[in-house]
Amino acid sequence: MSEAARRFLIGMLAFLLAGAIIGWMYGRPDLGLLVAALLALAWQVRKLLGFERALRTGNFDAFRFGEGIWEQLFSRFRFESEKSARHKKSYRQLLREIRKSTNAMPDGAVILNAENEIIACNRAAKHLVGLRRKKDRGQRVDNFIRDPELSRLLQSGDIGWSVEIASPLVDYKWLNCRLVGYGADQKLLLVRDVTERIRLSKMRRDFVANASHELRSPLTVISGYLDSLADDEQMPRSWEKAVAQMRAQAKRMQHILGELLELSRLEGSAREGSEESVDVVELMNEARLAFDGHTDIAGIVVNAESTTQLHGKAAEIETVIINLLSNAIRYTPPDGNITLTWRSDASGGELVVADTGEGIDAEFIPRLTERFFRVDKGRSRDEGGTGLGLAIVKHVLLRHDAKLVIKSEPGKGSEFCCRFPAKRLLVAEPVALS
Amino acid sequence: METSGLTAHISRRFNKDLEDLRNKVLAMGGLVEAQLSLAIKAIVTGDSELGLQVAIDDYKVNNLEVNIDEECGRILATRAPAAGDLRLIVAIIKTITDLERIGDEAEKIGFLASKLAAMDRPADSYRELKTLGGHVAHMLRDAMNAFARLDVDDAWEVVREDEQVDEEYEAIQRQCITFMMEDPRSIKRVMNVTWCARSLERIGDHAKNICEYVIYMVQGRDVRHTVVPETTDS
Repeated sequence: MSEAARRFLIGMLAFLLAGAIIGWMYGRPDLGLLVAALLALAWQVRKLLGFERALRTGNFDAFRFGEGIWEQLFSRFRFESEKSARHKKSYRQLLREIRKSTNAMPDGAVILNAENEIIACNRAAKHLVGLRRKKDRGQRVDNFIRDPELSRLLQSGDIGWSVEIASPLVDYKWLNCRLVGYGADQKLLLVRDVTERIRLSKMRRDFVANASHELRSPLTVISGYLDSLADDEQMPRSWEKAVAQMRAQAKRMQHILGELLELSRLEGSAREGSEESVDVVELMNEARLAFDGHTDIAGIVVNAESTTQLHGKAAEIETVIINLLSNAIRYTPPDGNITLTWRSDASGGELVVADTGEGIDAEFIPRLTERFFRVDKGRSRDEGGTGLGLAIVKHVLLRHDAKLVIKSEPGKGSEFCCRFPAKRLLVAEPVALS
Repeated sequence: METSGLTAHISRRFNKDLEDLRNKVLAMGGLVEAQLSLAIKAIVTGDSELGLQVAIDDYKVNNLEVNIDEECGRILATRAPAAGDLRLIVAIIKTITDLERIGDEAEKIGFLASKLAAMDRPADSYRELKTLGGHVAHMLRDAMNAFARLDVDDAWEVVREDEQVDEEYEAIQRQCITFMMEDPRSIKRVMNVTWCARSLERIGDHAKNICEYVIYMVQGRDVRHTVVPETTDS
């Protein structure tokens, strides 16, 4: 009990006691006590009404000084209310700072709840996708950004995955949308303007495709004449070797150009064409047979652990197998082994090409799928590779929602594993996919 | 969270049903918008494969229409909605019909695009169709936004915009007639262009219809076949 409360209690009791004593002196202690109690009550009621009035008008002059319980109550009240006002102010300041910084962000950010309904968004989201901050709160975000791709992303709730959609406001603009986990049950949708990046990569793609196309026709003329030169009886003997070399190199250039065109085709058409069920094991056996006649290459074994069919494009999957297999053959000595494996389980399918060749240093593995990347700079392309094989593999796998995982140890061998997601597998009886 | 425009119900299931229904309509709208923009792209770039793909994909729109229609019937039968809810259901039933028609027009344009791609292209590579198409796509987008926000002002805006589209269509038609008179050999190609323009103009009309349903849904008054006010009076 505080000092003021004790004093109040003692004062009260003393007052009542005094009333009772005075009443006793007049022979009516009960009446004295009653009068004292009524007086005390009247006094307290007056104080209470005064306090209420002070609260209402904000004029606390009557309570400002003094030791009594009402004065104590007031100073306590004033202390708390000033503290909360101070906190409120600092919170408001903080909130303003946060809002300022989110509004300054060049990327759009939309906070979504578990049902993909908008909780809040920043200014950039307003400009990029045309959300209205107040009006659209509580509505599902895909009611406004009605791109089927985005709806799929939101429904899958896949954190970290991103899709590129055409801007709902400006026709030529492209936006990249990605989901980030955010607090409990909430998501953050980040929207970024990627128009420039898409334009640049399209320019690069078009350039490569056009350049390869333009180089092709002169090369055809050159190799045509080289062919007839080689067949010419009157050609001096001393030129025979040179012409043969030129023919071989022209052929290689044609091969490279062909692969570059193939690559830009794979990159360019993201559209799903007609896909069918692919028997991976059969393709593996065919690829093995293609190398059957050669004697100075490593042994090839096809290991069919599953008969599940893959939903995709047979010609493209075949390219993957042939590219991986010819790579393996190129880097494996004749006494080594190459294993082609197809396996599948509930989590997806795996196409593995493993060899016992020379292996790759770990630092080079991330760069293997770059165009024309060579691990050994000194090594020429005598083995016949174009430097585009793995890039093609990567792009085919991207089109099939698959990933390329490379494991390798120098001196022991390498393993190229293509992981297909479960939705790409046709289980048991092939069902018609819409 | 409840959407501002929809009334809250004691039955939370009913709320959720209505909300789901609305979301489905908007998803269907998104699909139709994508179809339309792909069809226009197919014409402008002369991509016959893309045009055919659009024509083939129309079944997705049709499936959604049937699906939503059934859902509306179920809600009408089991919940017997009244007032605003009833208007919502009625508006949705009408809206999906228009969306499905827009899908059909997009299918037509896609098919015509694949035909046009095989013929020789004019120097401007169908710029006038691109402009008209952009305009119509914009109208459709605004119509769906008005539907999502239940915004009467935006809806009126789209209704007014339709006049412009009609004028543009008229201009394209005149241009086409001139071409055909100048060079009768181009008649076959220009006829196809006319059909495309016609389809785009129809899409504009359907977008306008959707906006009229939005006005009906929010204000409960039928503004079809009435004089369009210069400024919104509500």
